[in-house]
Amino acid sequence: MKVLAFSLFALVSIAGLRAEDITVKVNGMVCSLCAQGIQKKFKAISSVQEIKVDLSSKLVSIKTQNANDLADDKIKTIITEAGYNVASIERK
Amino acid sequence: MRPVGFYLLILSMMTSTIAHAHPVIYGGGKVVSSFNMPSYSDNQLMYSMTSKWAAGLNHWRFTKEDRNTELGLARLNHLLYRNNGEDSQANLYLLSGVGLVDAELEVKGTREAYMGGFETDWESRTLFVALKHYQFTSPGLFDLGMTQARIGFSPAETPFDQLQTWFMLQAMYMPATDRSVMVTPLLRFFYHNVLWEVGSSTRGEWMTNLMVHF
Repeated sequence: MKVLAFSLFALVSIAGLRAEDITVKVNGMVCSLCAQGIQKKFKAISSVQEIKVDLSSKLVSIKTQNANDLADDKIKTIITEAGYNVASIERK
Repeated sequence: MRPVGFYLLILSMMTSTIAHAHPVIYGGGKVVSSFNMPSYSDNQLMYSMTSKWAAGLNHWRFTKEDRNTELGLARLNHLLYRNNGEDSQANLYLLSGVGLVDAELEVKGTREAYMGGFETDWESRTLFVALKHYQFTSPGLFDLGMTQARIGFSPAETPFDQLQTWFMLQAMYMPATDRSVMVTPLLRFFYHNVLWEVGSSTRGEWMTNLMVHF
């Protein structure tokens, strides 16, 4: 039983340490200045390794150090406070 | 120089490198802007406390036949409504300001002044329309309204990190200085956090605008 619990704990920990790619579709992001504001907000978060904004597809791609570093609610709050709306969030 | 004129000059110098700022940007964002034409200039230094409220300093100059009227205002802007569409954005802003005017357009004098107005726009990645109105007043001394409309298009959807070019047409009506509508074709460029515009009115008045977000 102890071995099983330890294995589960180890698996969860390893999964949590894996980098995560998050793709956010943002409504209302139509200009360079909008994109710059969103980029600046995410760059200020220490767990964000990389942030890319694609205005054509309205997608914000975020790479975090570990999985679950950035919860959906946190992403929605950042985008909303920047003045825009989250249409969808996908994780890989 | 009168004391008030001195303070207006200082305010102008503080903001002179900087227009037509977006009235409110993201929380914590700063905007410096400078719009200039021979008939008027508008210099702003604004700070957005949130994505709905911004405050800052604003200097205006209105010129009619070598007579200048200058205003120095503390500004407060509010994003009243925003619609974030999949490929577009629409906004309605309320604009206000209080400060001092050094007037000589009609009556000469220096006194407290107030500004109220609104700005509304709709934009996609290739189309832009906007309408704004400012009303300036200093009871018994100065009263000026300014209405401006713009329409523009961008021939291409360029990536965020490349130069984007817009073709625009601006129509402005400011009856205190001119009874007719002034039409100005202009070019707008975006690159990262910098926007700049150059144009020339159908009367030959040059126009420049520079705006930087931080």
